[in-house]
Amino acid sequence: MATLTLTDTDRFLINQEGQDFSHEAKTFIKIRELALKNLKNLDFPTPKMEAWKYTNLRGVAKQEFRPQSAINVVCSRLKSHLIPNLDAYVLVFVNGFFAPELSKVKEDKDGDFIVTNLNKAKSSFIKLVEPHLGFLTRDKDQFFANLNAAFSQDGAFVYVKAGKQLDKPVHVINLIDGDLVVAYPRNLIIAEQNAEANIIVSHETLDTAVALNNTVNEVFVGEGAHVHIDKIQNENTNTYHIGGDYAEQAKDSTFTINTIPVNGKLIRNNVNILLDGEGCTANLNGAVCLNGDIHVDNQTYVDHAKPNCESHELYKCVVNDSASSIFNGKIFVNKIAQKTNAFQSNANILLSDNAKAYSKPQLEIYADDVKCSHGCTIGQFDEEALFYLRARGIREATAKKVLLDAFIGEVLDNIKIEAVRTHVDGLIAKNFDSKK
Amino acid sequence: MKPEDRAGEGVFLAFQYPVEIPGVSNINFIKTAVNEVREYKGQPVLETKEFVKLLKDKQTLVGLSGKLANRSVNEGFSGGEKKRNEIFQMAMLNPKLGILDETDSGLDIDALRVVANGVNELKSKENAFVVITHYQRLLDYIVPDFVHVLYDGKIVKTGTKELALELEEKGYDWIIDALKK
Repeated sequence: MATLTLTDTDRFLINQEGQDFSHEAKTFIKIRELALKNLKNLDFPTPKMEAWKYTNLRGVAKQEFRPQSAINVVCSRLKSHLIPNLDAYVLVFVNGFFAPELSKVKEDKDGDFIVTNLNKAKSSFIKLVEPHLGFLTRDKDQFFANLNAAFSQDGAFVYVKAGKQLDKPVHVINLIDGDLVVAYPRNLIIAEQNAEANIIVSHETLDTAVALNNTVNEVFVGEGAHVHIDKIQNENTNTYHIGGDYAEQAKDSTFTINTIPVNGKLIRNNVNILLDGEGCTANLNGAVCLNGDIHVDNQTYVDHAKPNCESHELYKCVVNDSASSIFNGKIFVNKIAQKTNAFQSNANILLSDNAKAYSKPQLEIYADDVKCSHGCTIGQFDEEALFYLRARGIREATAKKVLLDAFIGEVLDNIKIEAVRTHVDGLIAKNFDSKK
Repeated sequence: MKPEDRAGEGVFLAFQYPVEIPGVSNINFIKTAVNEVREYKGQPVLETKEFVKLLKDKQTLVGLSGKLANRSVNEGFSGGEKKRNEIFQMAMLNPKLGILDETDSGLDIDALRVVANGVNELKSKENAFVVITHYQRLLDYIVPDFVHVLYDGKIVKTGTKELALELEEKGYDWIIDALKK
């Protein structure tokens, strides 16, 4: 008699059944079916795989995470998740589902831009969505990208017409509520030729006990366009967050993504950027301040497919208590990508005996006229600087904070909107004050 | 005693090689220092208005350009600017005992004059300065009340400003030879 053993993948997928996407247009159903097909051939990520060497997802595989319909979030609760002094189009999603009563959309077909939820766009603006949705996450091997493609409930849709810009930034707020919830928010951002978009995506939890947030940002940056994303991950210490950021840039465009993991149980970020035209610039920044026993794994992949492009990566990590920070930065330079400038830097400060930092640069270069560099430091505070500050009367705890702010400040300077910068400063300070 | 407590008690050391601290603004740094020392002494912290007034007064006193105040602590400063920044901090913190460790090393005549002037302006009956140097030049501007010669960690000769002139003329060997006899 044959015994049927269920793999971790099987078990996980069984729990995702029950969502009905049959009302969607055929083209979108196809995306989900293809993703599901890919998933059935994939093993649930384990540390035996190189890409997951330092990040153990046993906690995710063994628990029964299920999509759960939105709980009604009262307006007054939303206030604490807004960014003070930020005038923006706010789109709120709870457990991956759109909360229209808490959001502000702009759906004028003749306007300069469209800001709405993806499900609405899939019906009202199908011609804009269809050529883009799912294109950047077709890789058969990416488990979580396929998972999100198969089961995504909803997400933000931001479209800016050629030569136009948003009159206000867009703030996408993802909230999670409930126990053993899995949410699959998926944002689609399209900036046409010479367009501009500023987007802030924040992830927070309400009263959740244990949750999984598998989120994807799919970004298309047109010729000469500029897209800037500030990503703030501030969920509770029982939430697993697995985020994929996929961007494709056309020539002469600029894409900046600032990743700020503040709180959570485990955060894994995959940033994938394809420079598919000459003269592109990509900026990937990470400000990682960790305490408790949070585990944060930042993986980046920049594909210099065309010549004359620039990429700049700056990830700075401060690790306290028994937290751990992983950084793996891959840069691929195609043999036709001459005059590539690719710079990668990962600096880590360890504040305690049990804090850990792992850093791995990977450069695969096939062109011969390029400038590529990578640098990594792992250490403690500059003792001389600390002594100098203390010798001037500044208490040790304050002096450490001053040095910390200076260290991380270099990355945070890439946040251009003042209200967002102030908000992030506050989140980081709050997280660290009680722990010193 | 912790370094910050020594500062609170009124001891100030002007470093020979002041360290650079990128990312920490000069103004933010000195404001934090001034207020933490005041807190230590049980004094109220300075409000922004009062602080700015104090800042401007002392900047003029030591000839520290306003431009430098907005930069990071000592970052990209020349040798002279770094020493001037030390004296400026001393002026802001108003210590009881100021120790100047080879303040004159690496300075040109003009920078030296400015630094010396700063120290002379701060000199009073309520404070004292220990100036560590190997050269007479600084002592033309900061006239010492006492001169001590240190050898092997001990004070081996004490005198007035004339002793400094004698050392400039004869060197230090004669003192060491006298000791050996």
